[in-house]
Formats: sequence, structure tokens, C-alpha cells
Amino acid sequence: MTARVEIKNLYKTYTRRKWFFGAGESVPVLKDVSLTLPENRVLGLVGESGCGKSTLCKVLLGIEEPTSGTVLVNGQDVTDKSSGARKQRCRAMQAVFQDPYSSLDPRMTVRQLLSEPLTIHGLYPNKTSRETFLKELLTSVGLSESYLGRYPHEFSGGQRQRICIARALALDPQILVADEPVSALDVSVQAQILNLLRDIKSARKLSMIFVTHDFAVARFLCDDIAVMYQGRIVEAASADELFSRPLHPYTKTLLAAVPQVGRPLAASLAQTVGDVSGVSAGCAFAPRCAQAAQLCRQQEPIFKAAAPDHFCACVQLTQGETK
Amino acid sequence: MPLLQVENLQVTFTVDKKPVPVVRDLSYTLPAGKVLAVVGESGSGKTIHALSLLGLLPPGASVRRGDAVFQRKHLLALNENQLRTVRGQQIAMIFQDPAASLNPVLTVGEQLVETLRAHRSLSKKEAWKEAITLLEKVGIAQAEKRVHEYPFQFSGGMCQRVMIAMALALSPDILIADEPTTALDVTIQAQIIRLIKELQQHSQMSVIFITHNLALASQVADTVLVLYGGLCMESAPADELFLRPLHPYTQGLLESLASVQTRPERLPAIAGQPPVAGEILLGCPFAPRCAYATDKCRQELPPLTKNGAHEVRCWREVVK
Repeated sequence: MTARVEIKNLYKTYTRRKWFFGAGESVPVLKDVSLTLPENRVLGLVGESGCGKSTLCKVLLGIEEPTSGTVLVNGQDVTDKSSGARKQRCRAMQAVFQDPYSSLDPRMTVRQLLSEPLTIHGLYPNKTSRETFLKELLTSVGLSESYLGRYPHEFSGGQRQRICIARALALDPQILVADEPVSALDVSVQAQILNLLRDIKSARKLSMIFVTHDFAVARFLCDDIAVMYQGRIVEAASADELFSRPLHPYTKTLLAAVPQVGRPLAASLAQTVGDVSGVSAGCAFAPRCAQAAQLCRQQEPIFKAAAPDHFCACVQLTQGETK
Repeated sequence: MPLLQVENLQVTFTVDKKPVPVVRDLSYTLPAGKVLAVVGESGSGKTIHALSLLGLLPPGASVRRGDAVFQRKHLLALNENQLRTVRGQQIAMIFQDPAASLNPVLTVGEQLVETLRAHRSLSKKEAWKEAITLLEKVGIAQAEKRVHEYPFQFSGGMCQRVMIAMALALSPDILIADEPTTALDVTIQAQIIRLIKELQQHSQMSVIFITHNLALASQVADTVLVLYGGLCMESAPADELFLRPLHPYTQGLLESLASVQTRPERLPAIAGQPPVAGEILLGCPFAPRCAYATDKCRQELPPLTKNGAHEVRCWREVVK
């Protein structure tokens, strides 16, 4: 089985200036991230805001440059900026973003929005065959083909997200990067879009990177899950394994915090949630962790197998084993 | 006697000189010391109804009809001066985006002190002391130090705590919380909800909790009211509503929620789109999406039928 996406030891650092002429201060947002997206799988990236999950997508899509490490899409390095390589990557990998309101140019009709990628890649140059293709594309995401001449403002949030998905599928990509695609939608519409994503995934044999902060959504859609905390992957396993046997204390906390009908309110997490970017030694989660011991504040946990195909970065779990 | 009684509230927006109703015929009672969750999607009128109670409606919106009685005061008939004594002191409100609700150029303490001194005759010194106590009450560590910090130095969850502190500064009888955790992470959400619940139980305050999240509503509310297209579709004690939802919309919403426990092949989604705010249909606003809809549903608005404490607006329940 070939890997669609392969990320190895990726680091990304942003530079922040305290004031306009001030010296830059580096803020690490991705630290030593390694992951693989195999063919025809959905990998969920789960974490809270600021954990680096969207930055990871941006690096993958070539919007941000990695500081160090390698990111391979279909075996090709994303830092390769030659136009041929970029075009190839764009064809193989497309994205759907969180906010369907700002993702669509308000002055373009649905027809123009969907044909733009086709024109760039020189596909369906024949007018009638393109029209047929666009109609098929629109129907495949559950919209009426009569919508082609309309403008984005005529659609609701859920319909716009369908247009965004159609645009991403126009080039028949192998990989779809979906960054919180349902969190801006109304609750009664979220389930529709989740079903749609699942359908197109199996119909088109897509590999998908699905970013979310909602474990319930991840449970429904993802085959594998990587939990991120402050720029690091702290736990990774198949979805079934992760939900039946979460190992990392952070994963457990997140799972417990998901509100569910018929379940009492989750116990509060330790309150220290201030700025943690200054914490240097030890586990980044230790200040909020109920099980944190002395060792956690001194030793950086190593990300390694805690069970077969179940990786976790927690000192407590791997304690006693040789380094 | 209930603390707040809302009757036949109708709020309209004026669009192209025509009145467009966004809240239609809303009635409910809020007993003292209870939590009422108002659940609805965007455009359901859940926020507008709350704003109308405090006379905070945006330009273009007005209360057409209805009454809201709070401690023998008719809220909707009060003038600006009278409203000022109600706002903050008796009914306080917190909003969705805490960072946008705080003034970025004033320290957190200055904003708290301003509120305190505007309503209570406190000296500056006393007010600052009170501000620190309030911050401690909402769980902010090192309050003496942090009271001098600016909102940008606080995280989203901390800002929401400050907003709650400010709302509680005058010990109101009712707290209206409008999606207080939507902008926050799940773990922080649990903290804030717990905090609101604790403070509510401790001070016997009533809470109107506005949310789009049914699961969250199930965890905090005593009573739940489901809004759709500006209308109350169903309202019942929380246990009852989640055990026996009667309206197809409530049922559909509950079924379509993804869960961490199970992984179904498909989510039973509600087809179609929620109505655009102000779009008025002849019959039941949910009829175009409802699997049980008949011609009658599409032509005639069902009345709200009462069965004990459980109210539902559906023709299927009328026939029974």
C-alpha cells in the first residue's frame, strides 16, 4: 500500500514581533510531527484551537513553508515550487475549508467557480462536454444542476459547503484536505454534509485528512485519528482502537468533555490554561494533567508504540521501558 | 408566581417597508432559580427574543405584540431610564464572543469597577476590592495581579469568565447566556458551563441559556424550549424532552447528532435547509423538511398543544 501523504519530523515556527521594529521571537507551532496517510483512508486530526492542526494543513497544501522536515504528497516534496510540480500536486490534492461564506468569490457564478480549476488544468476544453461534467459534478454533491448560473449569496451555508466540496472534486483529486468543514454549519445540516463526505470518500476512493475539534464527528468519519496538543501529536491509532482504549490523559479529557445527551456534565480540567508557550521542560500537557508526576515536568515524553498500532506520547505509559 | 413570564411575544424586522416576523407568538415562564435552555439554529429568533427583553433590539427590529412581566414590571413597555435599572442589575446578559464584548483599551479591572460603581455606591477602593473578589469567584487565579491586565492577555475562556464576573457583579435575578461557549474549546466549554451552573445553584439565580447544541442543553437545563423559524416547536422539562421528543424536528435533531460511542453507517440527517430568517410559510415552518408533512401542515399553522408540562406544535399531536 502506498502512502498518499507522508510527513516526517515536520517543524514549523512562526516569528512574532512584540512591536513593529522589534526583534522577532520564534513561536514553534508544529514540533516533530510525523504521520502517514495511506490510500483510501480518512485520517482525523483532532485538537483544540491553537494546537497546530490548521497549520499542518497549510504546510501540506503549500500555503506555508515548513521550517524543517519533509512533507511528501504522492512521493513528491511540497517545497518543490516549480510550476509543473505544483500543478501536479494541486490536481492530486484539494481542500475544503471551514467557512463556506468566505471560501467562495461572491462575484462568480457557480459555473465560473467550478470551471476555474478545469480551465487552469486544461480539462474539458469542449464547451458541451464541460457543461455535462459540471452538471454531473453538482448532482454528485446533492445540488440541482439548475444552480449553475446562480451566485453564492443565493445559497445557505450547507449548500455553499456543497459547492466548495464540488469545486474540490472538480479535478478528481486523490486526496482531500478538509479543515473543520462542518463546524460553521447549522446543526440540522451538519449530518447531511458528513454523510456526503463519507459517500464521496467511498465512491471516489479518496484519501482524506479531516481536521476537527469534535470527537463525535471524527468518530463518524475517520479511520485513523491523531490527537494533537500544542504542536505535537500526542496519540495516534485507528479510530476503533482510540475510542475503545484512549491512552493519553489529554485524549481522555477531550473525550469526556464532548457533550452528549444523557451524560452528565464533564468534570473540570485543571484550571491552569494560561500562556503555555513558555513552558520548556517536560510534557506540554503536564500543567493541566491530573496524573502529572515529577517526571512529567522534567522529561519530555517520547512518541512511541504503547500497544500494537497505537502510539502515544506520555511518560507515565512508557515509563520503565528503555529509551 | 414565575420570575419572568413572556406572553405572545412577536418581534419583527422591517425589510423594504414590510414587517417580517422573526419571533412569532412566543410564550414561556421562567421560575426563580431554574435554567431554561432556548435551543435553535441560526435565524430561529433565539437571540432576538432575548435582546427584545432588555430593549436591546438592533435598528429595524421592533416588538410588535406581546408582554414580558418581570417582578410586576412590563419589560417591553419600559422607557430607556427604567430599562437601565433592569439591565445588568436585575437581568444580565453574556454574549457569544467574549473577546469582542470587552473593551480592548481598558484593563479588566477598570471595566469591572466601572460597572460596579455605575450601579452601586462604592468607593474606588471598595470597588477594586470587589472586582478582585469577583474574579476569584469565577476561578481566575492570581486575581490581584490579573485585574490589572488587558483583555488581550486573557485566553477566550478567561475572557468569558471575566464577562461572567461582570454579569454577576450586581447579583442579577436572571442571567441570559447567549451561546456562551460556542467560541470556546470543548474542555473550556465544560469548565464555563460548570461555573455557570455552580453560580446559578449557589445564588438561586435563573438562567436563560441560548444554544444551538441540544446535547449541551440536556446537561444544563431544567426546561428546554425548541425554536424553529421564530416559533416555539416544543417545550418540556429537560428529562421529558430528551426521553420523549414529540416534534419531528426535535426527534430529527436528536437522531442526527454524531456520537462518540457509536459509529453508524449513515447519520439520519434531516433533509433540506433551515428557513431563512423572515421567510414566512403559510403552514408549519418545518413542513418542507418533515417526513410526516401532509397538505394540512403546509397550509395551516398547527397550534401549540399542551399535555401537562409538555407543549408541542404539530398537527400529529393535535389529532391524538
